[in-house]
Amino acid sequence: MSIFTRKTKAMSVCLLASSIALAACGSTQEQGAENNGAAESTQEASEKTEHTLTDAMGNEVTIPANPERVLASYLEDPLTALGITPVAQWSVSDGTSVQDYLQDSLQDVPTIPHDLPYEAVASVKPDLIIMDSPSMVEGGKYEQYAKIAPTYVIGEELNNDWREELLTVGEIFNEEEKAQSVLDEYDQKAKEAKEQIANAIPGESAAAVWLINKQFFMVSENLSSGDVLYNDLGIAVPKVVSEISKTDDANWLSISMEKLAELDADHLFLINSDGESANELLQDPLLQNIPAVKNGNVYEFGAKESWLYTGAVANSQIIDRVLESVAKQK
Amino acid sequence: MKYSQKRSQRTSKIAAVLLLCLALTFLISLNTGLIQIAPIDVFRLLIGSGSEQNAVILFDFRLPRMVIALLIGAGIGISGAILQGISRNELADPGILGINAGAGFAVILFIFYFQGNAASAGAAIWVLPLFAMLGALLAGACTYLFAWKGGVSPTRLVLSGIGVNAAFAALIIVFQLKMDPKNFSQAIVWLSGSIWGTNWAYVLAVFPWILILIPYTIYKSRYLNVLYLGDELAKALGVRIEKERRKLLITSVLLAGTCVAVGGGIAFLGLVAPHLARRLAGPRHEHFLPVTALIGALLLLAADVIGRVILMPTEVPVGLVVSALGAPYFIYLLIKMD
Repeated sequence: MSIFTRKTKAMSVCLLASSIALAACGSTQEQGAENNGAAESTQEASEKTEHTLTDAMGNEVTIPANPERVLASYLEDPLTALGITPVAQWSVSDGTSVQDYLQDSLQDVPTIPHDLPYEAVASVKPDLIIMDSPSMVEGGKYEQYAKIAPTYVIGEELNNDWREELLTVGEIFNEEEKAQSVLDEYDQKAKEAKEQIANAIPGESAAAVWLINKQFFMVSENLSSGDVLYNDLGIAVPKVVSEISKTDDANWLSISMEKLAELDADHLFLINSDGESANELLQDPLLQNIPAVKNGNVYEFGAKESWLYTGAVANSQIIDRVLESVAKQK
Repeated sequence: MKYSQKRSQRTSKIAAVLLLCLALTFLISLNTGLIQIAPIDVFRLLIGSGSEQNAVILFDFRLPRMVIALLIGAGIGISGAILQGISRNELADPGILGINAGAGFAVILFIFYFQGNAASAGAAIWVLPLFAMLGALLAGACTYLFAWKGGVSPTRLVLSGIGVNAAFAALIIVFQLKMDPKNFSQAIVWLSGSIWGTNWAYVLAVFPWILILIPYTIYKSRYLNVLYLGDELAKALGVRIEKERRKLLITSVLLAGTCVAVGGGIAFLGLVAPHLARRLAGPRHEHFLPVTALIGALLLLAADVIGRVILMPTEVPVGLVVSALGAPYFIYLLIKMD
């Protein structure tokens, strides 16, 4: 008797497993169909032909003559710079978090999970896939993606140089000249901005600090917005920034309150992901010693701005923000 | 004799029902995913016609993954059953011998040192599973060596396993703290158990091990039966305990290592599957081992379907689904135990 009931119990677990699977199946949605035609390439040139390129992993990739449904997750910046609309855009947390600073161009583009599950990729029916780094396609994934569409892998490291990345994307689309002109325009813009800044705040230093979950991060001297501030705009590098940049090669480096208090910056760009809840933290007496804080030269931005990113579009927006901030000064 | 015959008959019946459940879940899984393929189209594809895109999705993305789920589900189940048998501990599973943690540590090392460069991307199709396998074997060997004291008693085996497990888990955390956030999240997905190697190459890599080791284990059922009675009784019955125990332990580690290499750290399955099987088919290993394999396969396949669907289009690692289903059962077990 007792064996019988135990047996039924155990058996019902097995049946339950299959029925849960069945129920889960019912919620499947037809997503692929909606996405059709959601995105079109703006390229109309007709004389282009199919061409073959060798990517960073040594794959020979045949690029279609006019790729119309491009998937290039986390490469939306160079695409946008070249006027190409992708078929789906990078997102995390089930599409709730996207690259906000690009949404003027990408607002109608559906999202795709950042880890690019095969079926999600197949459902947007791409005709060309561009991958941001080899780690995206490790463990035989390249072969699988290549079955969906020609797949090109850019860059050998996690932090690609954005200029090279843009030129590579240009090459993929037979748009080398356009990519070069985007770069030239950017350099021109940076040069003019550099002069303006040199006039407005001669010799003064600045730093960008990101506040998230009550933890401060300092931008690296040569990466992300640090690259723009110090290399493109020629703003003086505070000592703390160059010190901390040597400790690690990440874009944004975690910094303690004590170290931050030593920051010798005349201007401070604060990217605040914590919103108003951070007010108390920012009032901390430790921070009042920073010259920028003392003189009221702190410029606060929300996390939706492009400060945390890199690329022609992102950097150009950073320059605008810096100019606005410094102009406010005058 | 009569009892045994009755049992065999019952086992066959149970196996038949399980196979039916398995076939059903298999069909559901085949039809489930972000891209819906109507059953009629699935049928068409199976007989060789239908659209090319659907064929890629079905044969290159879904099928290999499902076959892997079946194979490693069965493998983990059997591995757990062996461990429960030789340690005479109902709560033993591959995790408890540090096998998952060992494999996890090897994978973390791999991601930490080699991730992201082009060379690793080219080679990684077999390198990462190999690393995981080596880690599992290393952990298994450590556990056995530390437990050795002129022979290995079941209690010492479990205790030493818990120690090895804790040591590797600590090492994992040390490296995770030093990791790039991007790699870190990849490592987390691996550790929570996901069938990431959805590729026929992995099926081919796993299949021979499962094909040899599971029948071998079933063939060894009588030794497991005797070992389960306790060392003294086993000795009295003329079994060379240490030798048999070592053979079975190696089998179990190899099975778990293979599964962990392509499936990551799937917890609880090795615990739950043998338990369910023992309740269904009785305590004799020749009866409940085949049932264990079937239940393991069924549970993992079902968990995979659920993980694919529940947060679509994002995929939930299958190990998390198993844990979410397995944890309540584990607690129930603890409450029921005297």
